Amino acid sequence: MFAQILFILSALLAVAGALMVVFSRDIMHACIYLLASLVGVAGLYLTLGADFLAATQLVVYVGGVIILMLFAIMLTGGGREPSEKMKLLMQVPLMGSPRTYVLSFLALLVLSLTVGKLFVRVMEGFTSVDKLPYMGTVDSIGTLLVTKHVLAFEISSVLLLGALVGAAVIARPNKKRGAK
Amino acid sequence: MLARKNIIAILLGIELILNASALNFVAYSKFLAGNMDGQIFSLFIIVVAAAEAAVGLAIVIRFYQINESIHIDDAAQLQG
Amino acid sequence: MNSTVVHYLSQFQFFHQLLAMMGKEYLPLLSLIIFLLVVLIMLGALSLVGGLGTYAERKISADMQARYGPNRVGPFGLLQFLADGIKMFLKEDTVPRSADRLIFTIAPIFCLAGVFGTIAVLPFSSGFMLTDLNVGIFYLLGVSSLVGIGVFLGGYASNSKWSMLGGMRGASQIISYEIPVTITILAVVMLAGGLSLQTLVNSQGAAIWHWNFLHNPFMFVGFFIFFIGALAETNRAPFDLPEAESELVSGYHTEYSGMRFAFFALAEYIEIFVVCAVATALFLGGYHVPFGFGGEAPLGQVLQVVTFASKTFALYYVVIWVRWTLPRLRVDQLMTLCWKYLTPIALFNLIGTIIWLYLTNGRSIVALIFG
Repeated sequence: MFAQILFILSALLAVAGALMVVFSRDIMHACIYLLASLVGVAGLYLTLGADFLAATQLVVYVGGVIILMLFAIMLTGGGREPSEKMKLLMQVPLMGSPRTYVLSFLALLVLSLTVGKLFVRVMEGFTSVDKLPYMGTVDSIGTLLVTKHVLAFEISSVLLLGALVGAAVIARPNKKRGAK
Repeated sequence: MLARKNIIAILLGIELILNASALNFVAYSKFLAGNMDGQIFSLFIIVVAAAEAAVGLAIVIRFYQINESIHIDDAAQLQG
Repeated sequence: MNSTVVHYLSQFQFFHQLLAMMGKEYLPLLSLIIFLLVVLIMLGALSLVGGLGTYAERKISADMQARYGPNRVGPFGLLQFLADGIKMFLKEDTVPRSADRLIFTIAPIFCLAGVFGTIAVLPFSSGFMLTDLNVGIFYLLGVSSLVGIGVFLGGYASNSKWSMLGGMRGASQIISYEIPVTITILAVVMLAGGLSLQTLVNSQGAAIWHWNFLHNPFMFVGFFIFFIGALAETNRAPFDLPEAESELVSGYHTEYSGMRFAFFALAEYIEIFVVCAVATALFLGGYHVPFGFGGEAPLGQVLQVVTFASKTFALYYVVIWVRWTLPRLRVDQLMTLCWKYLTPIALFNLIGTIIWLYLTNGRSIVALIFG
């Protein structure tokens, strides 16, 4: 019963947050709603039994990415002025180019066929609602990271180093105006 | 109304997309009982998304320092 | 329900009597009720600690400055924090006209939620823990990052340049000092072999030479790095530039009055308690009673809680002592300290712990010397 309550709350939070990100006017509000959506997704990870991943999501996204976004909004003008120079026609909802509509229709077709097929097969194979014993995932993720996925692990460390150095170099203030 | 023109709003949308795909992978991992590969992939998605957000925001800050605006239509120098 | 305290209480007679009274199928409901009761007790106790923390700070600072602290309200001035609370309750709740209403409202809530979310995993004793999460310490790190967001939003929502600067400095201080703290916690986790707080506490013993603090020289240095980093994370002691601006010009909570300001202050004092609790759980032996008094009986649990609380309050006293002794750091000195001193030392600590683990297979320096 608690698992269902957790699932419903997290799903509502994730979907509502995501919708508010898209539909809100002010970009600071959009950041806050993104935070709510990410916390909802962390709750959904918990219902799927991925406890380490939920904690990682909290640490990386809440403590890192969101604060980064907030700082960037502050450093690029504060987001106070209305940042959309939209004409009256664009304010009609879902008014995009026809190309968007065609592509989204095709994607919807493919997606619904795939999901329908998976759904049928899952419903057939999902006989008993069993209470799996609680196994922590930390040990197995750690073992897998250094045995089966060690290449991706090492490459991601190089990627992070590159991102760190790159971001610091790109965003450095312009030194040419100083006394040189 | 769904088409935002603020670059940082676009980056927020990218974070949503990456989160949705990571959630999908974890769900696959749950339904193939005992196979942790989905969760490992989601872990790497989180790592890559964080790195990409950092670099993307650095580019946005530099863009603002040069152009004094973060409207996506002002980034049209290579267009044409 | 996977709660440690419910699991502990379910081995007693009264639990089964209560369950037999309600019917066998009401087990989830009974466990939920007990869980909520324990949550209320812990929330009340921690809010009391937060309130008494303000009182303790004023009394201890008065003692160090050779004056009396508050001594009018109640015996020895103990009810001073209640008087302050009532005063803040009755103040007018002003919202600046051009402030962002939504963010102005939720910034103190983020601070408080970030702090209150961490009490779910604090190891008060082996039975009296709300829940022993498998990823306990990692969850704690994640949830306490919400405090940084609360500080930043508080500075932003006030719509004044000075509080914005204070908020940005506070948030950048918090996220910078998370790095040496996290690396030090990683070293302790490697030594103990698990992320859960029970595992971390049980990897230590009761006697002082079994604590992680004296396990190897790297842990010794690590304790001080953790302590300094945690002091800086709570915007406290020599690192309180975001608040010092509130003494000089303004800070991130300048436009807040009444209960909203009380939220910020309460969040700060409870966060100091949480940080000291984590330091005792990780480095000072947690709740292990010296000489193993009490055993498994309920008396043993009570003694464990008392031990944990006394170690935490001793660290709390050190935190207050440090604040009223040392001068304040400038913001660039603060950042230099973090990035050029603490982070490399924490990294060397991590590598040193790895080498120590490899060479001695996890034994402490006392076990090596005395066989």
